[in-house]
Amino acid sequence: MRFVMLLLGCLLSAEIHAHQWTPTYPTMEQSFVPGVYQTKMYLWNSRKDVSYYTFEVFDKDFVAVPFATGERTARVEYLKKKEVVIYIREQELPDVVYICSRSQILQQDNTATLLSSRICSKIK
Amino acid sequence: MFKKLMATAIAFIAFGAQAADIPIIGQVESKCVVTQDRQGVYGNPSASVLSTDAVDGGVEPVVRIDVVLADAYKAVITHPSSFSQSPALSDVVAWTGSTSVEAVSDAGMSAYDTSKIEYDYTTEIDLTIAGSTWFKISSEADYGYQKALPGGTYTAVVEANCIAL
Repeated sequence: MRFVMLLLGCLLSAEIHAHQWTPTYPTMEQSFVPGVYQTKMYLWNSRKDVSYYTFEVFDKDFVAVPFATGERTARVEYLKKKEVVIYIREQELPDVVYICSRSQILQQDNTATLLSSRICSKIK
Repeated sequence: MFKKLMATAIAFIAFGAQAADIPIIGQVESKCVVTQDRQGVYGNPSASVLSTDAVDGGVEPVVRIDVVLADAYKAVITHPSSFSQSPALSDVVAWTGSTSVEAVSDAGMSAYDTSKIEYDYTTEIDLTIAGSTWFKISSEADYGYQKALPGGTYTAVVEANCIAL
Protein backbone atom coordinates (compact mmCIF):
# COMPACT_ATOMS: atom_id res chain seq x y z
CA MET A 1 0.00 0.00 0.00
CA ARG A 2 2.81 2.40 0.96
CA PHE A 3 4.65 1.54 -2.24
CA VAL A 4 1.53 2.30 -4.28
CA MET A 5 1.12 5.66 -2.51
CA LEU A 6 4.78 6.55 -3.09
CA LEU A 7 4.52 5.52 -6.75
CA LEU A 8 1.39 7.67 -7.09
CA GLY A 9 3.24 10.61 -5.56
CA CYS A 10 6.17 10.17 -7.96
CA LEU A 11 3.86 9.96 -10.98
CA LEU A 12 1.97 13.06 -9.92
CA SER A 13 5.24 14.92 -9.56
CA ALA A 14 6.52 14.04 -13.02
CA GLU A 15 5.19 17.26 -14.57
CA ILE A 16 6.29 20.78 -13.70
CA HIS A 17 3.57 22.98 -12.24
CA ALA A 18 4.67 26.60 -11.88
CA HIS A 19 3.08 30.01 -11.51
CA GLN A 20 4.87 33.27 -12.30
CA TRP A 21 3.66 36.87 -11.79
CA THR A 22 5.77 39.83 -12.88
CA PRO A 23 7.03 42.52 -12.49
CA THR A 24 8.06 42.33 -8.83
CA TYR A 25 7.83 46.09 -8.38
CA PRO A 26 5.19 47.52 -10.75
CA THR A 27 4.71 51.25 -11.17
CA MET A 28 1.36 52.98 -11.51
CA GLU A 29 0.84 55.25 -14.52
CA GLN A 30 -1.94 57.62 -15.52
CA SER A 31 -4.51 55.72 -17.61
CA PHE A 32 -6.62 57.12 -20.45
CA VAL A 33 -9.32 57.96 -17.87
CA PRO A 34 -8.64 61.06 -15.72
CA GLY A 35 -8.27 60.16 -12.02
CA VAL A 36 -7.57 56.50 -12.75
CA TYR A 37 -4.12 54.92 -12.69
CA GLN A 38 -3.06 51.66 -14.28
CA THR A 39 -0.27 49.12 -14.28
CA LYS A 40 0.39 46.12 -16.51
CA MET A 41 1.10 42.75 -14.90
CA TYR A 42 2.05 39.50 -16.59
CA LEU A 43 0.99 36.02 -15.55
CA TRP A 44 2.71 32.89 -16.82
CA ASN A 45 0.88 29.62 -16.21
CA SER A 46 2.86 26.41 -16.35
CA ARG A 47 0.63 24.66 -13.84
CA LYS A 48 -1.14 21.98 -15.84
CA ASP A 49 -3.54 21.41 -12.95
CA VAL A 50 -4.66 25.07 -12.88
CA SER A 51 -6.53 26.99 -15.58
CA TYR A 52 -7.99 29.88 -13.59
CA TYR A 53 -6.34 32.68 -11.63
CA THR A 54 -7.86 35.49 -9.58
CA PHE A 55 -6.32 38.91 -9.14
CA GLU A 56 -6.30 40.85 -5.87
CA VAL A 57 -5.08 44.24 -4.63
CA PHE A 58 -4.21 44.85 -0.97
CA ASP A 59 -2.92 47.55 1.34
CA LYS A 60 0.10 47.05 3.64
CA ASP A 61 -1.99 44.97 6.09
CA PHE A 62 -3.43 42.75 3.34
CA VAL A 63 -6.83 44.44 3.49
CA ALA A 64 -8.51 44.39 0.08
CA VAL A 65 -8.42 47.66 -1.91
CA PRO A 66 -11.04 48.38 -4.63
CA PHE A 67 -9.70 48.03 -8.15
CA ALA A 68 -10.87 47.27 -11.68
CA THR A 69 -9.57 44.88 -14.30
CA GLY A 70 -10.89 43.10 -17.36
CA GLU A 71 -11.62 39.88 -15.47
CA ARG A 72 -11.23 39.30 -11.72
CA THR A 73 -10.90 35.60 -12.47
CA ALA A 74 -9.31 34.77 -15.78
CA ARG A 75 -8.72 31.56 -17.67
CA VAL A 76 -5.06 31.14 -18.52
CA GLU A 77 -4.21 28.04 -20.51
CA TYR A 78 -1.25 25.84 -19.69
CA LEU A 79 2.05 27.38 -20.90
CA LYS A 80 0.36 30.66 -21.83
CA LYS A 81 1.14 34.21 -20.75
CA LYS A 82 -1.55 36.75 -19.94
CA GLU A 83 -1.29 40.50 -19.66
CA VAL A 84 -3.44 41.84 -16.84
CA VAL A 85 -4.11 45.58 -16.59
CA ILE A 86 -5.02 46.73 -13.07
CA TYR A 87 -6.87 50.05 -12.72
CA ILE A 88 -6.93 51.95 -9.44
CA ARG A 89 -8.67 55.23 -8.62
CA GLU A 90 -6.48 58.12 -7.58
CA GLN A 91 -7.99 58.25 -4.06
CA GLU A 92 -7.08 54.57 -3.44
CA LEU A 93 -3.59 54.92 -4.87
CA PRO A 94 -1.79 55.80 -1.57
CA ASP A 95 -3.19 52.62 0.06
CA VAL A 96 -2.15 50.16 -2.65
CA VAL A 97 0.85 48.04 -1.73
CA TYR A 98 0.36 44.50 -3.05
CA ILE A 99 -0.99 43.28 -6.39
CA CYS A 100 -1.44 39.53 -6.30
CA SER A 101 -2.49 36.60 -8.45
CA ARG A 102 -3.83 33.41 -6.91
CA SER A 103 -4.38 30.01 -8.50
CA GLN A 104 -7.86 28.50 -8.39
CA ILE A 105 -8.06 24.79 -7.77
CA LEU A 106 -10.61 22.43 -9.22
CA GLN A 107 -12.24 19.71 -7.14
CA GLN A 108 -10.40 16.40 -7.26
CA ASP A 109 -11.35 12.80 -6.61
CA ASN A 110 -8.28 11.61 -4.69
CA THR A 111 -7.52 11.96 -0.98
CA ALA A 112 -4.69 14.44 -1.26
CA THR A 113 -3.28 17.86 -0.51
CA LEU A 114 -3.60 20.49 -3.23
CA LEU A 115 -1.44 23.57 -3.71
CA SER A 116 -2.88 27.05 -3.87
CA SER A 117 -0.15 29.41 -5.07
CA ARG A 118 -0.27 33.17 -4.64
CA ILE A 119 2.39 35.64 -5.78
CA CYS A 120 2.25 39.27 -4.70
CA SER A 121 4.11 42.14 -6.34
CA LYS A 122 4.75 45.29 -4.38
CA ILE A 123 4.33 48.94 -5.25
CA LYS A 124 7.17 50.86 -3.65
CA MET B 1 39.69 45.87 -66.10
CA PHE B 2 35.90 45.79 -65.57
CA LYS B 3 36.16 42.32 -63.97
CA LYS B 4 38.83 43.59 -61.53
CA LEU B 5 36.63 46.54 -60.56
CA MET B 6 33.63 44.23 -59.93
CA ALA B 7 35.75 41.88 -57.80
CA THR B 8 37.03 44.81 -55.70
CA ALA B 9 33.49 46.19 -55.27
CA ILE B 10 32.15 42.77 -54.16
CA ALA B 11 35.05 42.40 -51.73
CA PHE B 12 34.23 45.79 -50.17
CA ILE B 13 30.52 44.94 -49.93
CA ALA B 14 31.34 41.56 -48.35
CA PHE B 15 33.68 43.23 -45.86
CA GLY B 16 30.86 45.61 -44.88
CA ALA B 17 28.47 42.69 -44.30
CA GLN B 18 30.98 40.90 -42.08
CA ALA B 19 31.34 43.99 -39.91
CA ALA B 20 27.61 44.18 -39.11
CA ASP B 21 26.77 43.50 -35.44
CA ILE B 22 23.79 41.39 -34.51
CA PRO B 23 22.94 42.16 -30.89
CA ILE B 24 21.38 39.59 -28.58
CA ILE B 25 19.59 41.39 -25.80
CA GLY B 26 18.67 39.79 -22.52
CA GLN B 27 17.34 41.13 -19.25
CA VAL B 28 17.43 39.67 -15.77
CA GLU B 29 14.49 40.93 -13.77
CA SER B 30 13.35 40.12 -10.28
CA LYS B 31 10.71 37.44 -10.15
CA CYS B 32 9.34 34.61 -8.06
CA VAL B 33 8.16 31.29 -9.44
CA VAL B 34 6.08 28.92 -7.32
CA THR B 35 6.23 25.33 -8.50
CA GLN B 36 4.40 22.28 -7.24
CA ASP B 37 7.14 19.66 -7.38
CA ARG B 38 5.20 16.88 -5.70
CA GLN B 39 1.54 16.60 -4.89
CA GLY B 40 0.78 15.35 -1.40
CA VAL B 41 -1.30 12.27 -0.66
CA TYR B 42 -2.94 11.38 2.63
CA GLY B 43 -2.32 7.94 4.02
CA ASN B 44 -4.85 6.41 6.41
CA PRO B 45 -2.77 4.55 9.03
CA SER B 46 -5.70 4.20 11.44
CA ALA B 47 -9.44 4.75 11.23
CA SER B 48 -9.28 8.24 12.75
CA VAL B 49 -6.09 9.60 11.15
CA LEU B 50 -5.09 11.00 7.76
CA SER B 51 -1.39 11.78 7.43
CA THR B 52 1.07 12.74 4.70
CA ASP B 53 3.92 11.04 6.57
CA ALA B 54 5.57 8.27 4.52
CA VAL B 55 5.47 5.99 7.60
CA ASP B 56 1.69 6.36 7.53
CA GLY B 57 1.50 5.57 3.82
CA GLY B 58 1.22 9.20 2.73
CA VAL B 59 3.27 11.47 0.50
CA GLU B 60 4.43 14.88 1.69
CA PRO B 61 3.84 17.67 -0.82
CA VAL B 62 6.89 19.61 -2.01
CA VAL B 63 6.77 23.22 -3.20
CA ARG B 64 9.72 24.80 -4.98
CA ILE B 65 10.15 28.56 -4.82
CA ASP B 66 12.61 30.18 -7.22
CA VAL B 67 13.75 33.77 -6.79
CA VAL B 68 16.02 35.52 -9.26
CA LEU B 69 17.22 38.25 -6.90
CA ALA B 70 18.12 37.95 -3.22
CA ASP B 71 16.10 39.81 -0.56
CA ALA B 72 13.22 40.54 -2.94
CA TYR B 73 10.61 38.06 -1.66
CA LYS B 74 9.47 36.13 1.39
CA ALA B 75 7.83 32.72 1.29
CA VAL B 76 4.68 32.32 3.39
CA ILE B 77 3.49 28.72 3.47
CA THR B 78 0.37 27.60 5.31
CA HIS B 79 -0.33 23.92 5.94
CA PRO B 80 -3.95 22.75 6.01
CA SER B 81 -6.29 23.55 8.90
CA SER B 82 -9.48 22.26 7.29
CA PHE B 83 -10.64 20.01 4.49
CA SER B 84 -11.61 21.73 1.28
CA GLN B 85 -13.57 18.62 0.37
CA SER B 86 -14.74 15.77 2.62
CA PRO B 87 -17.80 13.75 3.56
CA ALA B 88 -20.02 15.25 6.28
CA LEU B 89 -18.13 15.23 9.60
CA SER B 90 -19.95 15.33 12.94
CA ASP B 91 -16.92 15.80 15.18
CA VAL B 92 -13.92 18.13 15.31
CA VAL B 93 -10.71 17.52 13.43
CA ALA B 94 -7.39 18.30 15.16
CA TRP B 95 -4.83 19.52 12.64
CA THR B 96 -1.05 19.42 12.97
CA GLY B 97 1.63 20.09 10.41
CA SER B 98 4.86 21.84 9.60
CA THR B 99 6.94 23.29 6.78
CA SER B 100 10.64 22.58 6.44
CA VAL B 101 13.39 22.98 3.86
CA GLU B 102 13.90 19.75 1.91
CA ALA B 103 16.51 20.79 -0.66
CA VAL B 104 18.38 23.94 -1.68
CA SER B 105 20.31 25.22 -4.69
CA ASP B 106 22.73 27.19 -2.47
CA ALA B 107 24.28 25.86 0.75
CA GLY B 108 23.52 29.14 2.55
CA MET B 109 19.78 28.47 2.22
CA SER B 110 20.01 25.69 4.80
CA ALA B 111 19.80 28.52 7.38
CA TYR B 112 16.18 29.09 6.32
CA ASP B 113 15.09 26.28 8.66
CA THR B 114 16.53 28.06 11.70
CA SER B 115 15.53 31.61 10.72
CA LYS B 116 11.92 30.80 9.81
CA ILE B 117 9.03 32.32 11.76
CA GLU B 118 6.14 30.02 12.67
CA TYR B 119 2.70 31.07 13.85
CA ASP B 120 -0.68 29.31 13.79
CA TYR B 121 -0.49 27.08 10.70
CA THR B 122 1.89 29.38 8.84
CA THR B 123 5.65 29.49 8.26
CA GLU B 124 7.38 32.64 6.97
CA ILE B 125 10.86 32.62 5.47
CA ASP B 126 12.76 35.60 4.06
CA LEU B 127 14.36 34.46 0.82
CA THR B 128 17.72 36.14 1.34
CA ILE B 129 19.60 34.16 -1.32
CA ALA B 130 18.82 33.94 -5.03
CA GLY B 131 18.03 30.45 -6.29
CA SER B 132 15.65 27.58 -5.66
CA THR B 133 14.39 26.23 -2.35
CA TRP B 134 12.28 23.10 -2.00
CA PHE B 135 9.86 23.18 0.94
CA LYS B 136 8.34 19.99 2.33
CA ILE B 137 4.98 20.29 4.06
CA SER B 138 3.61 17.73 6.48
CA SER B 139 -0.03 17.52 7.49
CA GLU B 140 -2.00 15.30 9.83
CA ALA B 141 -5.71 15.29 10.64
CA ASP B 142 -6.98 13.47 13.75
CA TYR B 143 -10.74 13.00 13.86
CA GLY B 144 -12.64 13.26 17.15
CA TYR B 145 -11.46 11.01 19.98
CA GLN B 146 -10.27 7.99 18.01
CA LYS B 147 -13.42 8.20 15.94
CA ALA B 148 -13.51 6.53 12.52
CA LEU B 149 -13.45 8.93 9.59
CA PRO B 150 -16.42 8.40 7.25
CA GLY B 151 -15.55 6.85 3.89
CA GLY B 152 -15.03 9.23 0.98
CA THR B 153 -12.58 11.65 -0.61
CA TYR B 154 -10.67 14.08 1.59
CA THR B 155 -8.83 17.04 0.13
CA ALA B 156 -6.95 19.82 1.90
CA VAL B 157 -5.13 22.84 0.51
CA VAL B 158 -1.56 23.98 1.14
CA GLU B 159 -1.15 27.72 0.50
CA ALA B 160 2.22 28.82 -0.86
CA ASN B 161 2.63 32.60 -1.06
CA CYS B 162 5.55 34.50 -2.48
CA ILE B 163 5.32 38.10 -1.33
CA ALA B 164 7.55 40.90 -2.57
CA LEU B 165 9.50 42.68 0.18
